[in-house]
Amino acid sequence: MNSDDELAERLRDGDEKALRTAYERHGAAVLYLAQRLLGNRADAEDVTQVTFVAAWTGRDGFDPQRGTMLGWLLGIARRKAVDRLRSAARDTRVTESVRAQLAPPDGLETPERVVDRLVVADELGRLPEEQRRTLELAFFDDLTHHQIATVTGLPLGTVKSHIRRGMANLRRRWEVDGAASGSRSAGPTRAL
Amino acid sequence: MRHLDPDRLVLLALSDEPRDPGESEHLAGCADCRHELDAFRGVAGLGSEAQDLRDLPPPPEHVWRAIEAGIVSPVRARTRRRRPRWVTTAVIAAAAAVVAVAGTVVVERVVDRSAAEQVTARATLKPLATVPADAGGSVRVLADGKMSIDVRNLPLTTGFHEVWLIDPDDLSRMVALGSLTDRPDAVLPVPPGTDLNRYRLVDISDEPHDGDAAHSGRSLLRGTLTS
Ligand SMILES: [Zn+2]
Repeated sequence: MNSDDELAERLRDGDEKALRTAYERHGAAVLYLAQRLLGNRADAEDVTQVTFVAAWTGRDGFDPQRGTMLGWLLGIARRKAVDRLRSAARDTRVTESVRAQLAPPDGLETPERVVDRLVVADELGRLPEEQRRTLELAFFDDLTHHQIATVTGLPLGTVKSHIRRGMANLRRRWEVDGAASGSRSAGPTRAL
Repeated sequence: MRHLDPDRLVLLALSDEPRDPGESEHLAGCADCRHELDAFRGVAGLGSEAQDLRDLPPPPEHVWRAIEAGIVSPVRARTRRRRPRWVTTAVIAAAAAVVAVAGTVVVERVVDRSAAEQVTARATLKPLATVPADAGGSVRVLADGKMSIDVRNLPLTTGFHEVWLIDPDDLSRMVALGSLTDRPDAVLPVPPGTDLNRYRLVDISDEPHDGDAAHSGRSLLRGTLTS
């Protein structure tokens, strides 16, 4: 279901219901990212609000050719959350602890890592049913390809083919929408 | 030198495929193939962390209402909707009436206080991005159908501050309640029959004295009514 294009078009036309649809689809991921980065619910909800308002204001800057709507929204949310951490540092002079938040010590997630997880999880959910199921068994249940074939009743060759295709899809999406792609998109959305 | 087949690299990245000696040897000597293998391993790592993200709870409605309050575009609304002339006339007439019976009003207020001060809905007004952050206010809808508005630190205006009720689901719909005086608090009547579940977005705008009764597009404060 590639309705990002249609949604983008409705957004650009100033259709508020399109923003509502985007919120229903991606609000949970934006909130999750903000909460991971800011560490508390109230700030995370604030950043979620600011992100969708900024998305509305800057809706002309979303280009479905350059990435998905989720990737675009997460990019905005990440900048808003980091801005908030920085201004908190200015306000309270607790520079040290905030710096620690911006560059988490080993073992904690960086903003980039959280964005990447959300993007890959979203793409996993969009894969064709059998591809998705096969990859989930490999990822979540740690099954070998032979075990997957047994569990699903699919021929081993089919399992391997699902995994190859599914992995290729996830990787493509990661490269387009993942956090590392943020640096390449110096387009208008950077200003949001 | 022939690189390893990309499909083969995917299977190796999931690590339950035994490598043959030729593959190990090639990987040891080929940075390109190692890079590819690492990329697929990265994807596999992210994929195995995706499990927690599949069942995120739906995002909360109150955050959506705050978004709604932030996106209402009075400039758009202006092009679609004119305030009916009778509203302006009624406001002027009402103002005249207040001047005429000011003495009586004070007495009545004291008498009616208990009934009138039951609050049926309220909203916190927050400044828009272009407005100083210390500006703000609060709104209470009283049981007698009047709206009590307290504002603080509004930017100075050469015009006046107008109070609106807007339907966030259909921005062409708005009701002008009247203008704020120089006092920090004001009580304005809500037109009878106004559905406050629908017209729930309170908006304070800066209006020039230009004779145009429509919203100027310059909103200062906003908040959503909740009961
Ligand atoms: Zn190679």
